[in-house]
Amino acid sequence: MHYLMTIVGTTRFSSDGVMSSDAIEAMNRAFPAWNEKVKDRRLFGRELDLPGTASIVRVRDGEPLVVDGPFAETKEFMAGFSLLDCADLDDAIEVASSSPVAWHHRIEIRPFTQGVRLTDRAAAFGRGDDNPYLLISWMREPRVDLAPACDRWRDDLTARGLYVLGGALGGADTATTIGTRDGATELADGPFTETPEFIAAIDVVDGVDRRQAIKLAATHPFAGTDAIEVRPFYTE
Amino acid sequence: MNAQHALDAAFRESWGRIVAALIRRTGNWDLAEECAQEAFVEAVRKWPADGVPQRPIAWLTTVAGNRAIDRLRREARGAQLLEQIGHEADVETMFDEVEEIEDDRLRLIFTCCHPALPMDGRVALTLRSLIGLTTAEIARAFLVPEATVAKRLTRTKSKIAAAGIAYRVPPAHLLPERTAGVLAVLYLMFNEGYSASSGEELIRVGLCDDAIRLARSLRQLMPDEPEVAGALALMLLQHSRRRARLDDNGELVTLEDQERARWDRAEIDEALELLESALRRGAAGPYQLQAAIAACHARAATAAETDWPQVAGLYALLEAQAPSPVVRLNRAVAVAMAGDLDAGLAMVDELGTDPRMARYYLLDAARADMLRRRGDPRGAADAYRRALPLAPSEAERRFLQRRITEL
Repeated sequence: MHYLMTIVGTTRFSSDGVMSSDAIEAMNRAFPAWNEKVKDRRLFGRELDLPGTASIVRVRDGEPLVVDGPFAETKEFMAGFSLLDCADLDDAIEVASSSPVAWHHRIEIRPFTQGVRLTDRAAAFGRGDDNPYLLISWMREPRVDLAPACDRWRDDLTARGLYVLGGALGGADTATTIGTRDGATELADGPFTETPEFIAAIDVVDGVDRRQAIKLAATHPFAGTDAIEVRPFYTE
Repeated sequence: MNAQHALDAAFRESWGRIVAALIRRTGNWDLAEECAQEAFVEAVRKWPADGVPQRPIAWLTTVAGNRAIDRLRREARGAQLLEQIGHEADVETMFDEVEEIEDDRLRLIFTCCHPALPMDGRVALTLRSLIGLTTAEIARAFLVPEATVAKRLTRTKSKIAAAGIAYRVPPAHLLPERTAGVLAVLYLMFNEGYSASSGEELIRVGLCDDAIRLARSLRQLMPDEPEVAGALALMLLQHSRRRARLDDNGELVTLEDQERARWDRAEIDEALELLESALRRGAAGPYQLQAAIAACHARAATAAETDWPQVAGLYALLEAQAPSPVVRLNRAVAVAMAGDLDAGLAMVDELGTDPRMARYYLLDAARADMLRRRGDPRGAADAYRRALPLAPSEAERRFLQRRITEL
């Protein structure tokens, strides 16, 4: 099964630098060993730029509406993510909870409903001077009826060579959030988000500039009913 | 044996087994429950007239299995599944050896109690699929609307399927942690029943028996897990006091004032034996420690003979493993009872600053009792009065009121 492993960032850690450089260094040192251990089960993983760099795209009555800033002004946000290919939920929990990131961050695990689509672009990700963007679909109600339209949208972007990866996620009811307390893993039912909206799909596009990425987001079927957050990836 | 008795016994004995086996073979929880249900309906119809079959459980299992096959054949996806399982000939016998596979029930317990599921859903699903309580019965036991329970069950089952929670006994490295998770569900179930002891709440009291039955099964299935034995011993020791906890007027009687002759000796003996064999295995976990504390009370012929220093020591060990303000409060009480009232009161005062205890009536009730013992009736009365509005049940409020009058 394919799972989205979301790293939950908090304003406490990222914006005012409370997390010490020692802690970050220790995490980075441990990362290669973890990566080696889970490489068959981790298809992809990247850190995102802060939510403040995002644009929100909606289409109403055929008119695209674009505003700046994060979708939700919450203390916690998606700071990065990995795509996992695991035997079952326990397997995915094991991958996530053994990650050095789990020392400092909560992690949400959610299944993709129809698996994840990965194009050739995903393998070459980050190697050129490409300009990838993550499109996050924020929804209030699941819209299974739009699934075929989303598939066609992904087909079209793949054909144009702009699609990297993505897919539809199981509802908030299928999410599990992992935290650690005193070194022990603690599981909680439900997503990390506390907003009425939940993340219903993620899609990564590449080879476009910000303006074009926003335009692509406006063609996403969910842009017509809900909202798409367009967020750049973290770059050194 | 008459048909009704045979049916009741078979239901208790085999509901969980049949459901567990059908889930393993079909992966379909609803189908498993419905077919088990139909098998019992069939038994209700046939046994009184035809007589109880020689092997009732095998009979029920076969009927449930046949129903499952019939249903699967009618659905396209079911037919596919049957094809995967094997040839037609194998299909006819696929449910035959159901009763021999104990592992199925373990799989079911661990899946129902998976920590990624919501707690209320774990409890409801365990009662539904392992005990066979109906949605309406679970609703009455937890004092919530039936629709709420139905929703919890649906949502929990759908998470198992959608999130990929495997139907299996967890691998060895996860077993201790997951076993603790299962015990937490059983103990919550037990406490829910234990906290409701009045006549009109019989269905809730039944939860205690259900939790003990499940703990017994778990103990049979995992004889080498000392914490399982510990949890079973703990429940048995608490359960053994059920007839002494309320007086003839239905008023709550404290442990100190309980008529110990009314305690259930058979349950106490069973629990003490379980506990001793578990403790011999070394490092005691939280359930064994709690059972050991309950055992100190069970062993004392009168309240005055309670080995309070031992109880206080056990609470200190428990606090080291599972720190919580409630454990600390109990430890303070034991310290005071062991003779050091000042130390006990100091611990209680310190707990008074813990926001988690702000609305916990037993904190003031404990302080009141210590002040009373120290010869400060006015201070005790004040503390009882502070506890009064926080007490959650009528019986507890009456108890506090009585204490105030007695001062």
